[in-house]
Amino acid sequence: MTIQQAFLKTILDESSKHSIAQLFIHKGTCGEATDIVSVCEELGIIELAMSLNAKIIETSCDGRCWAAPSVTAQKNNDRGASYSRRFDRIDLGVNLKELGEVLDLSTVHNVFDDGATGLTSRFGQLDGSLLAAVELGAYGVAEKVFQQDQKSILSKIEESKLSGRGGAHFPTGLKWKLAAQNEGPRYLVVNAEEGEPGVFKDRHLLEADPHRLIEGILICCYAVGVEKAFVYINGQAHKGIESFMTALEQARNSGITGPEFLPEKMTVDIEVRAGAGGYVCGEESVILNSIEGARPVPRFKPPFATDQGLWGMPTVINNVETLAAVTTLWQDFPPPTKLVSLSGNIARPGVYEVPADGTLSWNGFLLSVGAELETVPAILLGGPSGTFVHRDKFEEQIEMKNIGAGGIFVLSPNSSVKEITNSLAGYNERESCGECTPCREGTMRLTELLQQETVDLKKVEELIEVMEEASLCMLGGMAGRPVKSAIENFPATWISTER
Amino acid sequence: MIPFDATADDAGDRLANFEKQLLTLPSRKSYLLPAFHMAQQYLDWLPRESILVIASHLRIPLSEVYATATAYSELRLEKPEYGAWYMCTGVACEAAGAQRIIAAIETVPGKFGRTDCQFLCSLAPICTDHRGRILGRLTENRVRAIFLEDRGD
Repeated sequence: MTIQQAFLKTILDESSKHSIAQLFIHKGTCGEATDIVSVCEELGIIELAMSLNAKIIETSCDGRCWAAPSVTAQKNNDRGASYSRRFDRIDLGVNLKELGEVLDLSTVHNVFDDGATGLTSRFGQLDGSLLAAVELGAYGVAEKVFQQDQKSILSKIEESKLSGRGGAHFPTGLKWKLAAQNEGPRYLVVNAEEGEPGVFKDRHLLEADPHRLIEGILICCYAVGVEKAFVYINGQAHKGIESFMTALEQARNSGITGPEFLPEKMTVDIEVRAGAGGYVCGEESVILNSIEGARPVPRFKPPFATDQGLWGMPTVINNVETLAAVTTLWQDFPPPTKLVSLSGNIARPGVYEVPADGTLSWNGFLLSVGAELETVPAILLGGPSGTFVHRDKFEEQIEMKNIGAGGIFVLSPNSSVKEITNSLAGYNERESCGECTPCREGTMRLTELLQQETVDLKKVEELIEVMEEASLCMLGGMAGRPVKSAIENFPATWISTER
Repeated sequence: MIPFDATADDAGDRLANFEKQLLTLPSRKSYLLPAFHMAQQYLDWLPRESILVIASHLRIPLSEVYATATAYSELRLEKPEYGAWYMCTGVACEAAGAQRIIAAIETVPGKFGRTDCQFLCSLAPICTDHRGRILGRLTENRVRAIFLEDRGD
């Protein structure tokens, strides 16, 4: 039996037990990059759906990038329930012998249960229409929240302890409050630049559930008193931009961003800006310069953006996921969650939703995402400004709030820590904007030092200290982190020399 | 898209089309980056001619427009190769065998370049092919198959 036949047979078997109402074709960036269109043709999905009387829904990646190209069959009568449960998921790319394992794990989407009412609950479920999003709860929270006064919303955000999901974890409630107490006009900037290698959760959010972001934006604009919001999206995230623009158009046309839906006297204009590359463009003050039309370089802080941001006016700058998470705060379940992006030496790379305040051991976490622990020498947490976690520390409990923007790259036995470290140092050097000397010169000297046959570790340490202390922004400030952590965790990798 | 060529017959028309579109943007400095994107959408890169009209429309000194353009890695100030493949060489793609794919691509005729991380790490290794399609979980065989397909074999 071929994999295709196995897939068809499973769907047909299941359909005799439960009636299949919908077939979801996952056509996001992940599906397209793995040729979902020709897979559907080969499988005869259209014919299959017709024979089962099922509706075909073209949708996004559901976070299970590992399964792409994939099709999900959904049984009837689940739509009315609080969450929809899938009973079938097959990776069309795996070997037949692996099929059993994949089937067993078919409902594992995140670490706890289905997490179905969390951030990813609508991933891979929507057909791109506003109606589908609203049916699954979009704008329901905003509607409720708009009945409350701004003060109680700000208190609620503060109580929730929601913190910035871009990696810096600044308390969101405090940020909103600081901006709200300043004289307007106030601005909101949504940081959707996500230019950190190893992190791809915001793109998934933009593609899979753009209305959740719009809802978060509207809540923020109401609570803080913002009339103009800019959404700054990574220029390479073509599908994300397209999906968000479509959703924004739908929201505008249906009156969601107008007086029909918004509280009295509230007006808001949302404008999309595409970035044009550069890791530094994810730094908040760089985005401000970029939107104003100036060179994309960081600003001195203070003044902070909540006092003097865009055009010198109070500005809230929030990450995509932070604003999306705002929409989950008014429900009893689940507890605040966050997204992590997993890649590398694991069976199931993709976007996972985990409890934001929880602790997990790396062992448990890695096993749950299909890693063969004995083949994992270390993980890299957070890309070019991240740190390595040696396998000796996998037993330790890790607080999820300490994993930065949530990029986790799992190393394989043949990974060279030295090569990875040098590659990250090279990336930081290329991406340095050149505005301040410690970063411009420091990243260059660091790369040079690391490429020596015998590395002067003392000099490396001193250089990193200068970069940490004196760089204008965190690109330079944190460029030495992976180097420092690689040397600490894998000292034998470097032949050091004492000065 | 075929990159703008100032010596080509259609150069005048292409530039006029871009200019016409540029005038739809408000004449304010804040629209500099959208103007750059618009130029690349119409011309595929930022030739000198486009920088001149952007500076004039947005009323920003030419030197500042140029300086800002140089700061963004995705803005092209030189005429790009038409129809090139771009292999991602981010950490995840390197670990997933980017170098093997590069070796395979280099054996077939065509133009080829490398890019930094494209942020599709869960699909590593990835590449953008000569038609601008993103190819994920790429194998040497798929690279060869696409070349053969294009030749009509």
